[in-house]
Formats: sequence, structure tokens, C-alpha cells
Amino acid sequence: MGEVIFWVIWALVAVSAMVVAFSKNLVYSVFSLLATFIGVAGIYIFLNADFLAVTQIVIYVGGILVLLVFGIMLTNRIVVAKITQSSLQRTTGLVVVGAIFLVLVLTLLNQTWPLATSAAEFDSTVNNIGELLFGDYLILFEVASVLLLGALIGAATLARKEL
Amino acid sequence: MGAHLLTLVTFIPVLGGIIIAFIPREKLDAIRWTAVAATALQLLVSFVILGSYDRMNPDIQMVEHYSWIPAFNIEYFMGIDGLSLPMVLLTPFISFLAIFSSWKIPKAQKGYFSLFLLLDTGMMGVFVSLDFFLFYIFWEVMLLPMYFLIGMWGGPKKEYAAIKFFLYTLFGSVLMLLGMLALYFSLEPHTFNMIILRDAAPEIGQKLLLGMNAAKVIFMLLFVGFAIKVPIFPFHTWLPLAHVEAPTAISVILAGILLKMGTYGFLRISWPVLPSATLWFALPMAILGLINIIYGAMAALAQKDLKKMVAYSSINHMGYVLLGMSAMTAAGMNGAVFQMFNHGTITAMLFMLVGVVYDRAHHRDIDGFGGIAAKVPIYAGVVALAWFAGLGLPGLSGFISEALCFIGAFPVFTWITIFATLGIVLNAAYFLWSYQRIFFGPLNPKYENLEEINKRELWTLIPLAVVVIFLGIYPAPMLDLMSGTLNQLVDIVKTAGMMAGF
Amino acid sequence: MDLTQLALSLKYFIPEMVLTGFIVVAILYDLFLKPETSHRVGFVAIAGLVVTLGMLYQQQGIPATGIFANMFALDGFATFFKWVVAIGAALAIWMSLDTKELENRRVGEYHILILILVLGMFLLVSATHIISIYLSLEMVSIMSYLLAGYLKENSRSNEASVKYVIYGAFSSGIMLYGLSLLYGLTGTGYISEIQAQLVLGQVSPVMLVLVTVLLLAGFGYKISAVPFHFWTPDVYEGAPTPITAFLSVAPKAAGFAVLIRFFNVALSQGDPNTPSWLALPGLDWPMIIAVLSAITMTVGNVLAIQQNNIKRLLAYSSIAHAGYMLMGVVVADQTGIAAILYYAGVYMLMNLGAFFVAIQIKNIYNTETIADYAGLGFKAPWIGIAMAVFLFALTGLPPTAGFVAKFYLFRALVQFGDGFLWLAMFGLLNGVVSLFYYMRILKAMYFDKMEIPEKLTAVPLHFNVLMFILVVPLLVGWMFGDPLSIWAAEAVQFFF
Repeated sequence: MGEVIFWVIWALVAVSAMVVAFSKNLVYSVFSLLATFIGVAGIYIFLNADFLAVTQIVIYVGGILVLLVFGIMLTNRIVVAKITQSSLQRTTGLVVVGAIFLVLVLTLLNQTWPLATSAAEFDSTVNNIGELLFGDYLILFEVASVLLLGALIGAATLARKEL
Repeated sequence: MGAHLLTLVTFIPVLGGIIIAFIPREKLDAIRWTAVAATALQLLVSFVILGSYDRMNPDIQMVEHYSWIPAFNIEYFMGIDGLSLPMVLLTPFISFLAIFSSWKIPKAQKGYFSLFLLLDTGMMGVFVSLDFFLFYIFWEVMLLPMYFLIGMWGGPKKEYAAIKFFLYTLFGSVLMLLGMLALYFSLEPHTFNMIILRDAAPEIGQKLLLGMNAAKVIFMLLFVGFAIKVPIFPFHTWLPLAHVEAPTAISVILAGILLKMGTYGFLRISWPVLPSATLWFALPMAILGLINIIYGAMAALAQKDLKKMVAYSSINHMGYVLLGMSAMTAAGMNGAVFQMFNHGTITAMLFMLVGVVYDRAHHRDIDGFGGIAAKVPIYAGVVALAWFAGLGLPGLSGFISEALCFIGAFPVFTWITIFATLGIVLNAAYFLWSYQRIFFGPLNPKYENLEEINKRELWTLIPLAVVVIFLGIYPAPMLDLMSGTLNQLVDIVKTAGMMAGF
Repeated sequence: MDLTQLALSLKYFIPEMVLTGFIVVAILYDLFLKPETSHRVGFVAIAGLVVTLGMLYQQQGIPATGIFANMFALDGFATFFKWVVAIGAALAIWMSLDTKELENRRVGEYHILILILVLGMFLLVSATHIISIYLSLEMVSIMSYLLAGYLKENSRSNEASVKYVIYGAFSSGIMLYGLSLLYGLTGTGYISEIQAQLVLGQVSPVMLVLVTVLLLAGFGYKISAVPFHFWTPDVYEGAPTPITAFLSVAPKAAGFAVLIRFFNVALSQGDPNTPSWLALPGLDWPMIIAVLSAITMTVGNVLAIQQNNIKRLLAYSSIAHAGYMLMGVVVADQTGIAAILYYAGVYMLMNLGAFFVAIQIKNIYNTETIADYAGLGFKAPWIGIAMAVFLFALTGLPPTAGFVAKFYLFRALVQFGDGFLWLAMFGLLNGVVSLFYYMRILKAMYFDKMEIPEKLTAVPLHFNVLMFILVVPLLVGWMFGDPLSIWAAEAVQFFF
């Protein structure tokens, strides 16, 4: 049962991601992105990463996606705008990508992966994440804030009318 | 006195060059006379070196030996012996005279003389360095000014000539760099010291590199670097172009000194450090010498451009050097180095004389003159002397050294030597034929008012002529200087060869 | 890990904290400035970098140690690169002060972004955990995208930024995938622990090669190695020239730092500080890198020959130089790494110098086309001589430090033995090819005769000073004792 649900989620993510990439209509892309994000959240749940799954939904679906929808709906005529989606050299690309895919799959399947010996008891990861984030990974947390500050300044600079 | 003579003789010119860089460009005479002063001082120091050189001692003298980059055991190591002394005398001598033949350089004189003096330092540095790294630095430093000197003040195809010269020589020197590094790592502790390398020659001869005999691999790497400079036959194509396009004084330097760096490199490094490989390659080397002799002469015979003819004559003359030094006999070796010196003086005369007529007629077409001997008798006389020296007339210095090369090579490479004598005949043919076409016959009316050679030009030629005649009659002083070292070199190669089973 | 232990790390983190402090000061100061005076933020930035360098100097002699739960390392290797990056940044900001391209616009943010970029590189060169590597790599990348697109009304600059973003996102995505595989295989993010797991031999060689290739996509992108170099010419051409100059030296050096650290620690056996060093069994990454190096330098050099725009030419030349430096990675022993460090230092000076000349000529004559440089050697003699020095150094000719830098690289290769002599040969011959296109610039400057447009501006005095600062170390810096090489040799010391 669990396995079936996993593969359904897997298919959801893969198919919706393809729609995002290949759709000629921006609105379709945005809404299938919703499916992608939710699917990824589902995979997190399978990994017992409950906090991550919730964060995924709250931030990506609740925040970023809504922002995108805002952007699209409030911009004139972007809804009807056709996006150029013609990819060149499809055959070559397909062959190369297919070959890489094959290599990846074969290698990954042939490798014995170190797995946890017993299925862990389901336990909320929030505590652990909190401790790590303000313990071992504290510095990275701080670094990320500087990174975001820089990104903010840069975004403001680019968006500003003045040169 | 004497402790830093070699450093002085090397770096005096570049100091002059730096001073010139600070003279305002309008003060032409100040620039020229600074250049004269720098080279004159260098010449003077070289005479002091000659005076304090002990000709009884075949080993290196006037050593300056300091640690330079200790992390890699790179040393500031200079010294001279009978092999380098002729070159140490030749370099300032030719440079000094070449300054006068560049008196009328048309533009950017400041840059010209600065670069010229930098070039001078580079050349001198090559001849006095005994640390391979130092040697390489000087070897490369010389490329930069040469590129500009040809490319900025040269003839119509100067840019092509300059970049071709630069690419060719750099190609050679990067292979040399690889060979140099291989040598460096062949000994423990690693060293660039040529004397230590020479003494460890048997050890290097037994090492393996890429599954082959290390000495042979290194020899071939160095060979390309040196062969391009000499230039040896398949690597010679840069030479006619560069010589023809360069301004007169630079052609003089190129042919008079630069070419010697190739053969000097062979004798300084390949021969003593890699004797087994040298003997292994002696026959091919002699054959290449033969090709140089015959090919150079034939090509010279075919030229319509006087300067190109002289350029090809250099290929021919360097062939004698190759033949002499590959024979591994005392006579051959002495002949080779003596020929290096003589070619320096003779070819300098040749190029200067071509420059003299070009300045007046603005062309160098051999068939475009005719009968001008009557108009410019003094010039014709000096040309006759230089041409005779070039074809190796007895009584002039070229004859002695060529004869020595042949004498030395004959017992070893009999047939090659016999064929090589053909080169002498061809040599005479193109020199005399060109002389006849230019100076004899009916006077070309265009040159009714041809100017005679002037005093400045004459005085740059006279010292060369004196040396050529003097050494042609009495070569002993020069041969005495070098024979000790060269005989020792022959012994080193032969003993090492015997140990290696040759 | 309790907080007191983390707090102890702070004393090893002073340069970074000082830098962050100056970032905040710069942001606040910028608020009080009008657009015309906003270049003053640059002075704050330079001051900040100088103080940071002073703090770095204070750290001299601290034994290699891990800080912040070993997320980052403080070791000689990282410190060396921090110096290169910070000096490069200070010089780049100096160049920006009087650049025409940045005139009449607000430049406060420009300097702030450079400082954040520097901070990112400080972290990148010392990162020892896959997350810290990735995070600092992104920090460097995002700041670079923003700076490349800083001339926002200029379509070339926009193109540069967009191309940079797309290639960057793609490469770092691939690298992230590789890192996730590595984490899945070893269950740890610390690169030294990854090594401890990998030497056990549980991972198949094919898998290791795959991971290596995936990682090289990310690292190779930062150092612009072939085949991850496609962004380089367009970004270098479109970005403001001081930024191009900076991008071509500092992030490249930082990319090399993280590449070396990762390969030398995670994908090798034994302690990287001992001479007995070996790649992981089954993973012949020296050979992979050797091939990459040969291809990179050849592609860079061959494509550079056809360029007519000085910035594009230098872009391809920077690809070629990445190839040369990779030669040192191939022999990732003490001499090889010391050679790369030395090269990074010298390359910083000579490449910044060449771009600086391009900036000045753009300022004075408003051109970036090499053909328009005709006769410049006589019109602007000092600029001409300086350019000659930089180009000779880039070619690797004595008597410049560029030669010594290359010499050390080849020395490391030859010392390694027969295995990589072919690569040394390749590198040397590539040097000959590069001569051809570098000399094209000099040929235009000195041999070509053409009318030159009148000067638009005079060269400000402080630019002459800067030129002097760049030229002199290249010419004489190595001749007397060569302090840089001594330092580089001592700096090969990893936290493990």
C-alpha cells in the first residue's frame, strides 16, 4: 500500500514538473508547480521528515507560489502571452539526456546503499532540527541571513528605476 | 677588483637602458651617446676580463656564486671559460658597433636604444650563466626586445617576421624548459648547476625517462630549443624572414650573436652533461651540418635580394660549426668555436654593408645595380674584403676556422666532409657572382650620383675588418684562449662515451 | 555541541566578523548619500578590506583548526586564499572608483555587494562540510549574478547576468545532486568523515567516478573549466569591467580552493598534510583532472585567437589559465598545491592588471576593440608598457613573475614522474599558442599605425599609482628571495 502511494506521488512530481517546463501557458505552469511542491512534500513525509514537509507546504505553496500568482494576475496581458518553448536539436538532446539517465539509473541500482537497520519509530523531527539549527549549524544559519541580505539589496537595486 | 666583473659586463647595458628611459625623447643625441657609453663601458669591462683571464686554466674562472632561490636550489652562478670567453668578447664588440649602425633609426629612438640594451644584457647573460635556470631566464629575456625591435623598426613584412621569430623561438625554449626540468630532477639533490650536472653526467646517462634513456630524451628536448636558434635545417625558416625584415643593426645582432647562442647551448649543456647522447647523435648532427652547408649555399645562390643572400650564407656558415663540433676532435671543436667567433665578425660586416647600400638605393635587388664599383670605390673595396672573408679566402679569419672544422671532421666523417667541401665552392660562387653583378659591368645610370660610404659607416666596419684580417694571419691568440677548455670538453665527451660503450 | 563551544570559535572568526561589520556600516552609510556621492561607500569598502587583512595577519601562526562544529576550517590554505581574495577585491574597488561605466549611477550597493561576495569567498575557501560548501558557493554565485547585471540599462549586462544565472543554477544543481549522492553513500556531511567512509571501499568505483563528475560540474563552473565555460565570454563581456576583472580572479581562486580541499580531503587517502598522498582506490581523479586540464587550456587558447574584443579575449585567456592551474591539482601533493597557490597570487596581479589597462583605455578612448588600440603604445606610453608587462606575465615569459608561476607548475608535474609528462608538454605548447594572441594586442598597440581618437579624459593620478602597484611586484617581486613562494609553500596545510 505504502509503496503504491509512493509511486503515485513520484509520478505526480515527475509529470507536473514536466508540465511546468513544457507548457506554453504561464498559468498552467504555475498551477502544475503547485502539484510538484505538494508531491515533494509527500516524499518528505515518506522520509519521516514531517517538519520539512510542513515547511515545504507553508513556504513554497503558501508563500512563493502565491507570490507568483500575484505576479501573474496583477501584470497586464501576461496571462495570454505565449512563451517561446521551441527547443532545438531535440533528438541530440534526447539521446544525451537518455544516456545520462541510463548511466545514473544503472549506477545507482548497482550500488549497495547503507540503510538504517530498522525502521525508526515515528518521532517528530522538530526538536532535532531546532537543536541542530541553533547548535552545529548555527553559523550556517547566520551565513544564510547575510546571503539573504545581499540578495535583498541586489533585488532592490535591480528593481529600482533610478540607475 | 674582479669579483663582480661578470655581473658588471652583463648588467651595464640594461642600466644604460634604464637611464635612456628617463631622457626626454627630444634629446636624440643624449640618447644615442648614452647607448654608446653603455656599450663602450661593457666593451671595456670585457677587455678587463680578457686581461685577467688565465688561459692556462681550462676550468671556469671569475666565478660568482650565490644562492638565489634557495627553496629550489636555484643559484646566481656565473663564470667563464675558454668556451664562453670568445662570446663574451664578441657580444659587446658587435653591440658597440651595431649602436653606430643604428644611428639613423627613424622613429622612437628612445624605445629602440632601451630595447637594444636590454637585448644586449640578455645575450651576455646567456654566455656567462652557469646555472641552467639563470641561463634560461636570460635566454627568454632576449626574446622580448627582439620581438619589438623587428616588429617596430623592421621592413614591410616586419609584423609577420617578428611574430614568426617569437613563436619559433618560444616553441624551442618551452621544450628546452622541459628538458631543463628533467635534468633538474635527474639528480639528488635537485640542481640547475651546470658544473654539478656535468660531473654527474654518467649518472644521468643511466636514468630512464618514459621508458627510454633519459639522456637521449633530454638531449632531443634541448636539441629542438638550440636547433631553432642555430638554426639547423628544418627549423631555419624563421631566419631569412627575420634577417631581411629587421633593421640593419638588428640583423647584425641576430646573425652575429644570437645564432651563436644555439651552438653555445649545445657545447655548454648538451655536450658535457649528456655525452653519451651526444655521441649517439653525433652522426645525425654532422649530417644536419652538411645539409646546412649545402642547403644554405644553394639557397643563397638563388636569392635576388642581397640581404636574403647574406641571411642564407649564415645558415651555411653555421653548418661548418655543426660539422666541427660533432666530430669530437680537438681540431674540430676549436674550429667550431673559432668559426662561431669569426662568423660573428664577418656576418656583421656583411649585414652592415648591405645596410649601407640599402640606405642609399632603397632596394637590395642584386640585379638592380651594376657597375657601381667605379662610383663608390672605397665601398667596393670593403665589400670585396667582407665577401672574401665570407667565402673563406686564405689570409682571412673565416678560412682558418673553416679549415679547422674540416680537418677535425675529416678523420671521423670522411664522406660527409668531402661533400661539405662542395659547400665552399658554392659559397665562392654566390659571393663572387653577386659581387660581379653589383659592382662590375656597365654602370646603371640610376646610380650616377651614388654616395660613397661615409665616415661613420666606415669606422664601424674598420674594427671588424682589422679583427678579420688579424685573426686570419695570426689566429693563435684566440685559439690559445679557448683550446684548453675545448680540449678538455672533447676529453669529457670521449671518456664518457667510452664508458657508455661507444 | 553546546553554545559555549561555538562561542569559542568566534575568536577564530574575527576577520569575517569585521567584514560583516563593515558591510553593515556600508549599508547604513549609503543611506545618507546622494547618487553623486555614493562612490564614497567604496572608501568604506576598501577600509573594511584593509582592516580585514590586518585581522587576517593577526591570525598568522594559529595551528590548523576547525571552527563552528568543524563547519569551517582555519588553516594556512584557507588564509592564503583569503588574502588573495581580499587584496583582489580592494584593487577591484579601487579600479571602480573612476570608471566611466559606473558614472552617473548609484554605486553604493555595488560596493556592498562586492563586500558580501568577499565574505562568501572567505567562507567558501574554508568550508569543510558539504552544506557549508554549498551555501557559501551560492553566496558567491548570487552576488556575482547581481554584480554582472549591475549596468541594468545595458542589454549586454542583462544578458551576462541571465546567462550567468541559468548556467550557474544548472551547474550547482548538478553539484548538489552529486553531494546528495555522497551524503547518501556515507551518511555524513563532513568531508573528512566522507573520506573515512569512502576508504572502506564499500562504494563501487563507477559510483565514485559518477559522483566526481557531478561535483566537477559545480566546481568546474566556478573556475570556468571546459565544458562548463560557456558562460565566461558573455558574462565577462557584459559585466562592468572592474567586476569582470574581479570575477576572473577571485571567485576562480576560491573555486580552486574548494576544489582542491574537497578532492584532497574527501577523495584521497590519508592525511592531506603528509607527503604520502594517494587518490582513492578505483577513482583515478588525477587522470580525470589531467584530461580536463588539457582540454580546458587548449579550448581557451584556441578560441582566444579569434577574439576582437579585449574583454572576450581575456575571458578565453582566463579559461586557459584555469587549465594551467588544474595541472597543479593533478599532482595534488605539496609542490603541486604550493604551485597553484603561487599561481593564484600572481594571476591575481597580472589579470587584474590586464583588465585595468582595458578599463583605462575604455575610459580614455571609449573602445574595447583590439583593432582600435592601434598606436596606443605611443599615445599612452606608460599604459602601453604596463600592458606589455601584464601580457608577458600572462604568457609566462621571464623576467616576470608569470614565468616563475608557470615554472613552478611544470616543475610539480615533471617531479611527479613520467605519468604526466604529456600534460606538461601540452601546457608548454599551449603557452606558445597563447603568445600569439597576447602579442596581437601588443602588435596593435605598437606596430599598427592608425589615427587614434582624441583623449576623452586624463588619467587620474591615483590610477597611475595603482598601475605601479600592479606592475612592480610582477617585475621584481620574485627576484629577491621570492617571499610569495615561501609563503605558498608554508600555506599548504589543511585542517583535517
